[in-house]
Amino acid sequence: MQLSLFTALALLVLTATGFLAGRTRALAIGAREEGRLHSLPNYHGYFVALWTGLPAFALLALYAVTGTMVVNTLALGELSRASEPLQQRYEAILATDEDHRAATASVERLEAEIRMLRAEADAIIASEGPHSEALAPLRARQEERLFDQDDARFVITSREAAIAGIVLEAADADVADARARAGFEYRRLPPEQRELFVADARALAFADTLASRDTPELRAAAEAFVPRQQALAWGVSLAALALAAGGLAFGRSRVTRQFRARNRVEWMVSAALMLASAIAILTTLGIVLSLLFESLRFFASIDWRVQDFLFGTQWSPQTAIRPGQIGQSGSFGAVPLFAGTGLIMLIAMLVAAPVGLFAAIYLSEYADSRFRAWAKPVLEILAGVPTVVYGFFALLTVGPLLRDFALFLGYEDAVTQSALAAGLVMGVMIIPFVSSLSDDVINAVPQSLRDGAYAMGATKSETIRHVVFPAALPGIVGALLLAISRAIGETMIVVMAAGQAANLTANPLESVTTITVQIVMLLTGDQEFNSPKTLSAFALGLVLFVLTLILNIIALRVVQRYREKYD
Amino acid sequence: MTDAPRPIADAVRQRLARRHRAEGRFRMFGVGAIVLAIAFLAVLIGSIIAQSTGAFTTYTLTLPITIEREVADPRGDMSEASLRRGSYNQLIQRALQAELPAASSRTELRDLFSLYSGLNAAPVMRRVVADPSLIGQEISVSMPVNHEIDLYLKGITVREDRQPGEGAITMDADGDEVRLTGEMPVFARFVSRIRAQAEDERQEALSRAARAQAQAGMAESRDAREAALAAERRAFADAERFETIIDPETSILLGARTASLLIGVNGGVISVSAVSPDGRTAQGSVLLPLESDAASSDWTEWVIETPPAARRVGDLQAIYARTLEERGLIDQRFNTRLFLNADSREPELAGVMGAFIGSILTMLVTMLLAVPIGVGTAIYLEEFAPKTRLTGFIEVNINNLAAVPSIVFGLLGLAVFINAFGLPRSAPLVGGMVLALMTLPTVIISSRAALRAVPPSIREAALGVGASKTQAVFQHVLPLAMPGILTGSIIGLAQALGETAPLLMIGMVAFVADAPSLGLAGLTQPSTVMPVQVFLWSGASERAFEMRTAAAILVLLTLMILFNAVAIYLRRRFERRW
Amino acid sequence: MAEDANVKAGTVYHPAEGNRKVKVAASGVDVFYADKQALHDVSVEIGDRAVTAFIGPSGCGKSTFLRCINRMNDTIDTARVSGSIRIDGEEINDRSVDPVLLRARVGMVFQKPNPFPKSIFDNVAYGPRIHGLAVSKDELDSIVETSLKKAGLWDEVADRLDQPGNSLSGGQQQRLVIARAIAVNPEVILMDEPCSALDPIATARIEELIDELRENYCLIIVTHSMAQAARVSQMTAFFHLGHLVEFGPTEEIFTNPRDRRTQDYITGRFG
Ligand SMILES: Nc1ncnc2c1ncn2[C@@H]1O[C@H](COP(=O)(O)OP(=O)(O)OP(=O)(O)O)[C@@H](O)[C@H]1O
Ligand SMILES: [Mg+2]
Repeated sequence: MQLSLFTALALLVLTATGFLAGRTRALAIGAREEGRLHSLPNYHGYFVALWTGLPAFALLALYAVTGTMVVNTLALGELSRASEPLQQRYEAILATDEDHRAATASVERLEAEIRMLRAEADAIIASEGPHSEALAPLRARQEERLFDQDDARFVITSREAAIAGIVLEAADADVADARARAGFEYRRLPPEQRELFVADARALAFADTLASRDTPELRAAAEAFVPRQQALAWGVSLAALALAAGGLAFGRSRVTRQFRARNRVEWMVSAALMLASAIAILTTLGIVLSLLFESLRFFASIDWRVQDFLFGTQWSPQTAIRPGQIGQSGSFGAVPLFAGTGLIMLIAMLVAAPVGLFAAIYLSEYADSRFRAWAKPVLEILAGVPTVVYGFFALLTVGPLLRDFALFLGYEDAVTQSALAAGLVMGVMIIPFVSSLSDDVINAVPQSLRDGAYAMGATKSETIRHVVFPAALPGIVGALLLAISRAIGETMIVVMAAGQAANLTANPLESVTTITVQIVMLLTGDQEFNSPKTLSAFALGLVLFVLTLILNIIALRVVQRYREKYD
Repeated sequence: MTDAPRPIADAVRQRLARRHRAEGRFRMFGVGAIVLAIAFLAVLIGSIIAQSTGAFTTYTLTLPITIEREVADPRGDMSEASLRRGSYNQLIQRALQAELPAASSRTELRDLFSLYSGLNAAPVMRRVVADPSLIGQEISVSMPVNHEIDLYLKGITVREDRQPGEGAITMDADGDEVRLTGEMPVFARFVSRIRAQAEDERQEALSRAARAQAQAGMAESRDAREAALAAERRAFADAERFETIIDPETSILLGARTASLLIGVNGGVISVSAVSPDGRTAQGSVLLPLESDAASSDWTEWVIETPPAARRVGDLQAIYARTLEERGLIDQRFNTRLFLNADSREPELAGVMGAFIGSILTMLVTMLLAVPIGVGTAIYLEEFAPKTRLTGFIEVNINNLAAVPSIVFGLLGLAVFINAFGLPRSAPLVGGMVLALMTLPTVIISSRAALRAVPPSIREAALGVGASKTQAVFQHVLPLAMPGILTGSIIGLAQALGETAPLLMIGMVAFVADAPSLGLAGLTQPSTVMPVQVFLWSGASERAFEMRTAAAILVLLTLMILFNAVAIYLRRRFERRW
Repeated sequence: MAEDANVKAGTVYHPAEGNRKVKVAASGVDVFYADKQALHDVSVEIGDRAVTAFIGPSGCGKSTFLRCINRMNDTIDTARVSGSIRIDGEEINDRSVDPVLLRARVGMVFQKPNPFPKSIFDNVAYGPRIHGLAVSKDELDSIVETSLKKAGLWDEVADRLDQPGNSLSGGQQQRLVIARAIAVNPEVILMDEPCSALDPIATARIEELIDELRENYCLIIVTHSMAQAARVSQMTAFFHLGHLVEFGPTEEIFTNPRDRRTQDYITGRFG
């Protein structure tokens, strides 16, 4: 880090030098030769500076992003090489181990049987539907096989651990062997623990954070990291400086009287701007591709029963652990989530639509400018409050209040985390959203329409209800659609205040769960990245994205049309 | 020429009153909506301020501690490694024990040492490591008391009442057991109080029983009926228990579900376990030894109304805490740890500093990415791009991106930055990148508006004197649009500052006990940010975290207001009308 | 009683048509927009059952004065009106006068046609509906029909009354809003440059219509077309820089203006 910081500073100096060099040379040429320079000296300066700085900084940036990964790969490669003898001894012992061989064979056999059972089950489902009675015995048998398979797997791992222990025991405790042991240990770690191993080794090597453990193996591993890190850092720094110097020389050599430095520089500037605007597209592309890709993996893991996901009414992803289990896709029925999302959205809109609309009407039609001047910022504050604050408010103030009120009214099953609490607070959050969008829309209604109504002897409210509102209706609908999309995508309030129970209910006093809540539940805490459980979060994300995208597109269209009508 | 009769005026007049009433109603709806919205805001802010008040002060235990050589320096070589292994908690414990030598049994010591968290030894260790000459000296160490004790001393979780007793009492000791006798019914006040309390509880239990009975009658399934009947039986049993207290004939036994009565007399404290129904005598045990057994009329009736079962602070802990408070060793101070510490499992030690630094780092990354890219995009689309299908598509795309739920950006970050690029989880670098993508549309849209507001005459003038397109844009248009761009960017960053959901996706919810370092290295260290800290604390079960959450929210809101104030100031200061 | 007195005292003399009852009488009207004075001490008496034209260069305050007559200036926050305006002898700037009622009696047609976002039928029926002028659906139908007939639009729209008002052409829309204005049978109709957005043929139709309406209404029309003023009006008022410079029978103003500024304006020396 220190070194790259120093290099960056040096590069800055070089770049500045490049600028001066280009400029001076251009000035000198201008003074010496006949005729005007094509470009101002400053542009020659920029040109040389760009040649000096750009490639070198690009290299440095590449190093910043990939450096750690490269060092890790190199160091781990070294560890793995060092551990080769241990690994071979381990594999040799393993190959002669009876228990291990037997267990491996039985895992394979059970695998085949499970596949056959699945095929049978699929055939039954295809002919008799997913609720057929005939599935039950199959399911039971499969359960049994899976159980046996787990047993066999346990035997395998425990044999492997025992043999690894023997191998390690045999290895000496000197430093060279510590490195071999480290590599051996790393190879045997399950993938999710490898990250921690690397992090600890790096922490010991570079002392920038605290390591969670400190063992001779980790120390040995750390020693493999240090020289590689240093070599790479020095190499990159020198290469960057060399690139900069080369760029400077090259750029400077291009400076002549006719050289179109300005056009070159401007071309680069507009190329950079174009690149910047490509980011927006890349983001969308990234969202679509990543969601789609992970969702496809999810659907593959539930055997493409997409309809079970979209129309199933049973959501219990925590119980669906093993891939390939019969009927397992049934526990990924997302209808309770859609229903919960809809219920909370409805409650929120019941609050936000009338209050937001009336607030907008009052502000744009009744209030004088002085009142508007302070009421609008107050509403904006409501919009600026972070959603996690609303969540806290819903959880600790509104939720208990509603529960006590429901208990007081004699509703015994009242809970703190309810659809109503989350919906109400979300509604409050959306009020300023509705009101500011509607305010724009109402202000866009031409004054001549109002004048026409007033001139007929309409009162203010009649003018608003009969003329302004119908005229603004498309825009208001657009605003409400955007608000709905906002309510559907809102996360923190529901995570904190709506509960996690996947109830399929229309009772606002019960706990419900939403798409966003489940995404958070599935992706926080410990996770195995490839399990259907984790992947299902991406499928939910895809649904959410598509839903809000459709709403946004319709809303933006409607508002656009409306604007065109009155502009 | 005569006028034909004009009937309209009369016809209109007929309905006029009704129409004006409708007008008034409509207007009231409007006023109501505004009032409602503002009231919501007031209640929101008000309730958070009210909830936070307890968090800004903390009861602090200050002890003179002697740094004994053999404890602080186990290897005896004064090396840093040795000093770090010292058992500083033992030093604190010794000092505390010296203050209250009466605490000697195992349970007594446990209660005594639970007044503070062992984590407080770490700062002592750091002090000694930094300055080994402290060894052998006596230093003064301040530490926050345990959060439950803190809440008790603040009177938030426990109801208690301490009054001087009336009339003399005599004490007959028999081992630890003491028999208290008053010259008159000295405990009558307590007896009537506890009876009233028991009567309330009994009524409550009876009505609970009645409700359960009704439920059993209406139950739809057998299980539900069984459950309701069981609840009814429990409620009746409760009611019966309270009846024995109310009964004027039997003596009152105090226990886990009644108020506690402590008698402070002769420098010690007696915990009462039974009171005679006439309030004249009581039976108890000594919790803090008395200096003498002499009869005294100078005693304190100390009633802890919240029953032991309903509070986290035992009688003995309460006695120790109050004793130390009376000696001036525990006092209430401003809670600097809330602002200067990083997160901790112990509420009294937890602070927002770690999250604050995390927020700063994350915002830096967001700003460095979102502002240049956003402004660049805006300049390109507004000034350079030909109006083609492609640029039209980019526009639609940006508008849609602005309305994509923030959590989707989190999913993008998880799938691309962490899983595909292998960047570290929980790191401000990744958080900042995700938030930058999220903020980008806001920056682009407001920058474009600012650029569009610069009148074409400026561009034409620049181009007219021979400037190239790039020069016109960068030297003339951009400076004029800068205030608008800055305002939009700051508002976008303020949004990002308050964002939580996408950061949950990339693992910034981890418990991080050390603040990340404020530098390049911090960018990849695990950390959290202010709103996520709020989320984490709000999920904690300790009551003390609840008020700290509210306090953290106030800090966050202050930051947001600061951001927005800067934006408003810039807008006002540089506002220009063409 | 008061009205009788006015009928006798308040008459306007017109050389060709004799005395006419005064419908609108303004005296000492000043209008301010914030601090800027738009009208200075305007006093005028406008006769019933005739067309009065307001002419004058742009920005001289014609519209402002017109809007005083039905208190449309109330809807502008910054506008302040002082002085007296009487309709049939009744002060309209009085607090006790309800602008809603006043505007029902004084209709207004604007420069740009502004049909409501409703059907043709609902546009015309709007006034009668809100004021409760029709007891039954049939009565409403007949009011709409008569109004559209009076406005000369019936034949063109009779078979598409349920189509939106803004699906009509500009000239038709302007006749629609005139029909909308006369549907409540007002006493005075104000028209602010009603033809400025129309072609000559549509203009001719509106002018014809104005001429017909003269039979029953007091019409006041703002126009920039001297020819139009000469064609449709009996009386003409000339405004300049917020002052009412000259008011008199139209022929007189056009053939024999008394004020120099009037002469300059109608001969096109400024405008
Ligand atoms: N709403 C308003 N706020 C402020 N000033 C106004 C407003 N309406 C009109 N004015 C000013 O009052 C003066 C008179 O305007 P008015 O509209 O009456 O002119 P006009 O004679 O109708 O002009 P034109 O023939 O162009 O319609 C003008 O100087 C105008 O700028
Ligand atoms: Mg006008």
